[in-house]
Amino acid sequence: MSTSPGKADFSPPPAGAAPVLRAARQRPSLSGALIAVASVAIPLAIWWGVAVLVTHMRGVPFPTPLDTYHRLVALLQGKLLVDFTIYRHLGDSLRRFTIGFSLAVGLGIVSGLLFGWSRLLERLSMPTVTVLQLIPGLAWVPVAILLFGIGPRTTIFMIAVTAFVPIVINTTAGVKSVDEMYLRAARMMGADERTLFLRVLLPGSLPHLLSGLRVGFASGWRVLVAGEMVVGTGTGLGYSIMQSRWTLDYCGAFVCIAIICAIGLIVERFILLPLERRTVERWGLARAG
Amino acid sequence: MGARKSRVIVMIELHQVSKVFHNEETGQHVQALRDVSLQIEENEFVCLLGPSGCGKSTLLNLVAGFDRPSGGRVLFDREPVRTPGPDRGVVFQEPTLFPWLTCEQNVAFGLRNLNIEPQRRRGLVRRFLTLVGLDSFARARPHQLSGGMKQRVALARVLALNPRALLMDEPFGALDAQTRDRLQDELLRIWETHRKTVLFVTHNVEEAVYLADRVAVLAPAPDSIIADLPISIPRPRDRFSPEIREATMALMAVLANLPCCVLPSQSEEVGQTVRLQEGG
Repeated sequence: MSTSPGKADFSPPPAGAAPVLRAARQRPSLSGALIAVASVAIPLAIWWGVAVLVTHMRGVPFPTPLDTYHRLVALLQGKLLVDFTIYRHLGDSLRRFTIGFSLAVGLGIVSGLLFGWSRLLERLSMPTVTVLQLIPGLAWVPVAILLFGIGPRTTIFMIAVTAFVPIVINTTAGVKSVDEMYLRAARMMGADERTLFLRVLLPGSLPHLLSGLRVGFASGWRVLVAGEMVVGTGTGLGYSIMQSRWTLDYCGAFVCIAIICAIGLIVERFILLPLERRTVERWGLARAG
Repeated sequence: MGARKSRVIVMIELHQVSKVFHNEETGQHVQALRDVSLQIEENEFVCLLGPSGCGKSTLLNLVAGFDRPSGGRVLFDREPVRTPGPDRGVVFQEPTLFPWLTCEQNVAFGLRNLNIEPQRRRGLVRRFLTLVGLDSFARARPHQLSGGMKQRVALARVLALNPRALLMDEPFGALDAQTRDRLQDELLRIWETHRKTVLFVTHNVEEAVYLADRVAVLAPAPDSIIADLPISIPRPRDRFSPEIREATMALMAVLANLPCCVLPSQSEEVGQTVRLQEGG
């Protein structure tokens, strides 16, 4: 019997198969482009309609998209908003968010790995996590103020605690979804506990973990604004929105809202979602949903 | 003869091993193994044959160290088995390659745990991927490979660790017949050059006869090893030869008569192994 080692059962190199699939899915079409444009144009048109209607019927200056755009340009050119430039507000907000979210990511992943690993730890801590999940971000205001007083640290705490919950829940689920056979295989190959965590459980739970990061990002980002609004941090996009009502600078508030939306959208669409997709595709795992 | 015998090392030894599984939800106890005794010598290729659900995989898991026996002793190289380890390389029925690693990273996984320095590690990875004919797929991810190719990588990753024994749990059971034949031949080719003790679990009689030095037939508990048949057909073997067919028939007869092979009184005894001598 001729044994040409492993030639016959080679399926055609599937490396070529993936790009074909991807090309088919991403083929640009006219109708697709129209839908994409409409999905932006229709909400803008509604906004515009509401602005015109409200301005005429209630006699208050509801900013139109164009007003907002003009104000944005002015602010970008250095005009002050609530005593500071838009860059200062944006920078402070981003800094607070980054610190809070990093804390949530670090603590969330570590706790998730532990809870997924140890049935005992999971049973001890999951009730708390479930309760945390039910607390709306804003409900943390009194707690945060008691803990940290009024200031940026309060906002950071609120972001961290809000983003932490979905991250820890998803990481735990991810670790538990790692097939027992992978753990056996790893142990059989001499993996110690550290290797099991870092090279099996962590990558094995990554698809879940990444969707946890996405949800955690969204919740944390929302609570950043709320936290700055309520806690009174002196600077920041959320603070500016709240303060601009005293100066009747509604256009400025709308600019801040638009910036918040834009940043959230960019991070979600262009960083987190592609990261999740790429991981899942590269490993050939089926995407949930 | 006596001098030769004394040099034989028993690599794997099961002494009156029992395993009971507890189902926490139903509160039921399932006796998977009862009083199973088996010895496997160094460099021996032993197939453990039996119908599905007779505890073959349970037995292999005990030797691998994934489970602890409920009774009896499991020895590997005269030491009690406590944990899994790279001295007993396991090839599972599913390849269980890590999907987040490339083929070469999968093979390197165990070598890293053994703290083999990168340069030597890379050499070993290449060598063992070449051995299974997959050196050109080093950078591929497992999901890009066919079932047979994945099993080759799974074999390469344990061979690279230079284990003292290979524990194979129906490794070719999920493959199509042609791929299975080819992988059997490759396993034998590798085994000829890298002598190892092999415990190979299968329910495929022809596979067992074609591969093994010895076939042990395991019946469901409360029975245990009901036949232990040396296959002395010289290698390389021809899978279509009359000798193979004859031994296959003999084993099939044992399997077909499973319920009447063991007398009730025998099942309590220790040395209940029925030794069948091969005629030929």
